[in-house]
Amino acid sequence: MPLFTLDEVRKTFTNGEIKEEILKGINLSLKEGEITALVGASGSGKSTLLTIAAGLQPATNGQVVFNGNNIATMNDEQIRQIRASEFGFVFQFAHLVPFLTVEEQLLLMLDVSESKLNKHEQKTEIDRILKLVEMEHRKDAYPSSLSGGEKQRVAIARAIIHKPKILFADEPTASLDSKKSKDVMMLIRELTKTLNITTLMVTHDEEMLSYVDRVVKMSDGLVIEK
Amino acid sequence: MNLAWKEMKKNKARFLILGSIVFLVSLLTFIISGLANGLSQDNAALIKDLPKGQFYMTKDSDQTYNLSKIDASTEDKILKNTQDAVAFSIQMGFLNDPGEKQRSVAFVTSTNTKSKLFPNIKKGEVVLDSSMKDKGIKIGDALTNNQYSGKLTVKGFVEQKKFSHAPVAYININDYKEIYRVKEMQLVFVPGDKSPKHITGLQSFSKKEFLNTIPSFNAEQMSLNMIVWFLVIISGMLFAIFFYMMNVQKIGLYGILKAIGIKTRKLFQMMWTQMVFITIISLVLSIAFSQIFNLVAPKGMPFSLTFETTFLLSIVFLIIGFIGATLSGIQIRKVEPLQAIQQGEV
Repeated sequence: MPLFTLDEVRKTFTNGEIKEEILKGINLSLKEGEITALVGASGSGKSTLLTIAAGLQPATNGQVVFNGNNIATMNDEQIRQIRASEFGFVFQFAHLVPFLTVEEQLLLMLDVSESKLNKHEQKTEIDRILKLVEMEHRKDAYPSSLSGGEKQRVAIARAIIHKPKILFADEPTASLDSKKSKDVMMLIRELTKTLNITTLMVTHDEEMLSYVDRVVKMSDGLVIEK
Repeated sequence: MNLAWKEMKKNKARFLILGSIVFLVSLLTFIISGLANGLSQDNAALIKDLPKGQFYMTKDSDQTYNLSKIDASTEDKILKNTQDAVAFSIQMGFLNDPGEKQRSVAFVTSTNTKSKLFPNIKKGEVVLDSSMKDKGIKIGDALTNNQYSGKLTVKGFVEQKKFSHAPVAYININDYKEIYRVKEMQLVFVPGDKSPKHITGLQSFSKKEFLNTIPSFNAEQMSLNMIVWFLVIISGMLFAIFFYMMNVQKIGLYGILKAIGIKTRKLFQMMWTQMVFITIISLVLSIAFSQIFNLVAPKGMPFSLTFETTFLLSIVFLIIGFIGATLSGIQIRKVEPLQAIQQGEV
């Protein structure tokens, strides 16, 4: 049984009297531990699909089923709880909290996900994850003193520290140069495979597709190739 | 995790600016309030220091105490029937000091020699407000008045007894009658919590009502109190504007925090904690500075800042700050995580 299913998902935006259908009935399943990349031209609806799947905006029609529960029928608080404890996010920019150190960024995520770990266990887990993303030597640094690649590594660490079931990544390498993009993609692949995290990712960069298990091509609000 | 504290620690300058503005506005409010209270004391300490009770003056005096003349029979009736009641009069006038310099005073005399509300003065004696000491007048000095045939000997001084910004001079009733050529007293004061009695030809006033009949008292206090409350409102608006500006800068951050699952309530708690922390620190500092000002203010400056006033204003500042910050925080509720993500780096 798939971990995550999108069933006939539609999204229509209304601007005055003009209605524009961005997603025209998407069906997609994500298997546990698999990395899926959504690709397609600008305006094909891939980012909209990712944000609907992540519970960041509602679908106009259709079902978004995670672990047997339809997110589309949940209230805001229920969706927030799922986002906090079951989902992880990596965006185009790192979006780190400017007044927290690297270590505190991860501590905040454990706090938000209502982690059951005690203080000592939390510290050990943070050290372990920072080691995995090779940022343990910068754990007391503030985001302003990190490079773009370092920030994205911390963002990845923050996205997986609470052991989410699904990682949503929206163009995670778009703000990085080619070398750093490959490093980040390798890191995402390594971590999600090690921790058995299912990943749904949006990317423009064809070079990054070698790091994913499945490519889903979208065009004009429809899936045209899986 | 205490996000509020972490942010303040990292962005000290930003919060220091907000704190210093709250400090300056609250200090200004405390000082104006101290001056308002000081002027009020300077204008009417004689009346304000009397216990709770009712003042009576004649109806035809048109609420002007120095036009009131209570006839002897009415006065006798009230004084006989009401224990502790006292009839008294106040008139602005002059005393000549031993150096023949004219000093402006408020002459006060009363009928009930057993009453503790006014000092018992013998004929030819005068008891003055202690501010007259600063003008070189001593116990035993003989003072004169142009309408008085004899001399008034200074028998003592009383602390903080002023009326209409002039020091009070307590004199004997017979001396008063000689100076002002009157037989009747202007006012009757009945101390106590009892409701006012109906007395034919007289009108009753509570202490507050009576204070408002004093020329200039009401206008003076209204202006100063208006300044105080405007400052309180301005400080509330400052809070709202500052937190609004800070919130606008942090919209992206709030959106990301919401996207990763932080509760909106926690973001509000963060803002309230910062607001309470800044306000309390600023208020403690401005209370300390205003009390120092209270100690070092020039002696002639009417300044009186009580603990009750300071406490009340501090509570009002906290409430206004809370409302201001909360109103500006409505944006936090409206922040959509998606918008923040699309906005770019925070």
